[in-house]
Amino acid sequence: MSAAEEMLKLEGVHKSFGKLHVLRGVDLEVNKGSVVCVIGPSGSGKSTLLRCINLLAPPEEGQILLEGKEITGGKRGKRGATEDVDFVRRRVGMVFQQFNLFPHKCAIENVTIAQQQVLGRSSSEANDKARSLLERVGLSDKVDEYPDRLSGGQQQRVAIARALAMDPHVMLFDEVTSALDPELVKEVLDVMKELAKEGMTMIIVTHEMGFARDVADEVVFMDEGVIVEQGPPSEVLGNPQNERTKRFLGLVLAN
Amino acid sequence: MSGAPPTGLEVFFEQYFNFDALFKEVPNTNETWFEFILDGFLVTLELSLIGGVLSLAWGLILAVIRQLPGRAMAPVRAVTIGYIDAFRGVPLLLVLLLISGSLPPIVDALGLPAELGAPDWLGRVDAFWYGILGITLTYGAYMAEVYRAGIEAVPEGQMEAARSLGMSHGKAMRFVIVPQAVRKVVPPLLNDFIALMKDTSLLYALALTPGEVVNAGQDMLVTEANSTGFVFGAVLFLIVTIPLARLVDWLIKRDQAKSRRGGGGVAGPPVATEPAGGPAGATA
Repeated sequence: MSAAEEMLKLEGVHKSFGKLHVLRGVDLEVNKGSVVCVIGPSGSGKSTLLRCINLLAPPEEGQILLEGKEITGGKRGKRGATEDVDFVRRRVGMVFQQFNLFPHKCAIENVTIAQQQVLGRSSSEANDKARSLLERVGLSDKVDEYPDRLSGGQQQRVAIARALAMDPHVMLFDEVTSALDPELVKEVLDVMKELAKEGMTMIIVTHEMGFARDVADEVVFMDEGVIVEQGPPSEVLGNPQNERTKRFLGLVLAN
Repeated sequence: MSGAPPTGLEVFFEQYFNFDALFKEVPNTNETWFEFILDGFLVTLELSLIGGVLSLAWGLILAVIRQLPGRAMAPVRAVTIGYIDAFRGVPLLLVLLLISGSLPPIVDALGLPAELGAPDWLGRVDAFWYGILGITLTYGAYMAEVYRAGIEAVPEGQMEAARSLGMSHGKAMRFVIVPQAVRKVVPPLLNDFIALMKDTSLLYALALTPGEVVNAGQDMLVTEANSTGFVFGAVLFLIVTIPLARLVDWLIKRDQAKSRRGGGGVAGPPVATEPAGGPAGATA
């Protein structure tokens, strides 16, 4: 691991919403090509962590370095500065629990709109890219469907294609299977496994312990805004050391 | 018949449904009152359509300005909110009188072309354009509030998704938020349009010639001592407004059915603002 290139580094990240202190000093390093699964009870700050990384919720304290560049400083040390946001959003893709597809646009338009409006790709270039990505997530027959005609699993796969279309260097997944019917979970996880195999750097907030065990290079257990335990899945999931991790896994795996 | 004084019912019909009077010729012309009032209704329609389109555009501009993010934009937002509050809270009639009474000398004093103070574009007299201006200023403010409700009804995740794909706030508004918001607020916007159409009658106060339909009815009342022209004008209004009201109902029902299906599509329950008939108290 020492030779691996560092993609992302968090140091002492704090984030509050009003009086609610959600992240209380998070340190994390993510190497290029590695897959990190973040687990933990709800309210532990997992989703907020992802939102800090892509500056949807800029942290108040601490540093985040993306590909070696600090993204929490801005020119004049201003957090959430435009130049940081542009740098980050061109490199970091995000997939949401509620899919957040644009309901007034069909599948392929969902995948092309930002390519054209943000990256300035021509419509034919964006369309080619979108078609190949939709094919890759197994939806080449749903190109012209609107989101409300797609199942949750299909919508989530469109959302993954939409994020991939921007050629991100890192992908963030925020409980992307939590809103899905159980029989639709696998089709989304399969797409994510493929991505991991191809070497995409991924940070995945998930409750799917089996998936974390199979895919993750590293599992991070968070509780009450801090990282309690982290390491290879075999250790964190198989032989947890911390009491809180043990209790959480006991509750989750009992189901 | 002869001799006996007319009954109340007879006078009622004689006053309101007197087709003989309606088809009498207007003095010094070769058209009947029927045609005269129809012409007045065309002026009403012109005012409604031009004023309606401009109000829709101006309202959207105001609503988007009101949603500009960041601390730097706070003064701009405050001015916009102040404008909307002011024009929502003042009668249109008063706005019309403010404009028509004093616009020409102000334009003159500012050294602007006199044409702006007393426009005669498209062969319409200045009072017509004062009316359009007053309607746009006032209904733009009403419609800005309707659009705002629509924008705020778009789930926050839409903005987050657009931003996470690298879109700026402006692009996210333009391509993602506003198109969804507008679809949600078509019914309340149509309601406002109905109210706007009725409020064109306030141009009565500006002595617009040729007048809109209420003004035309008043001309007939003065000449013929008969209100049939008003009744005909009312019927003309209803021919347009009742189908519009039914359209609003149908759109709302359709959207409700859609959101019951749970499509999660654009629909969502339509955003209700004012009851049909529009902003209360706009008309005296």
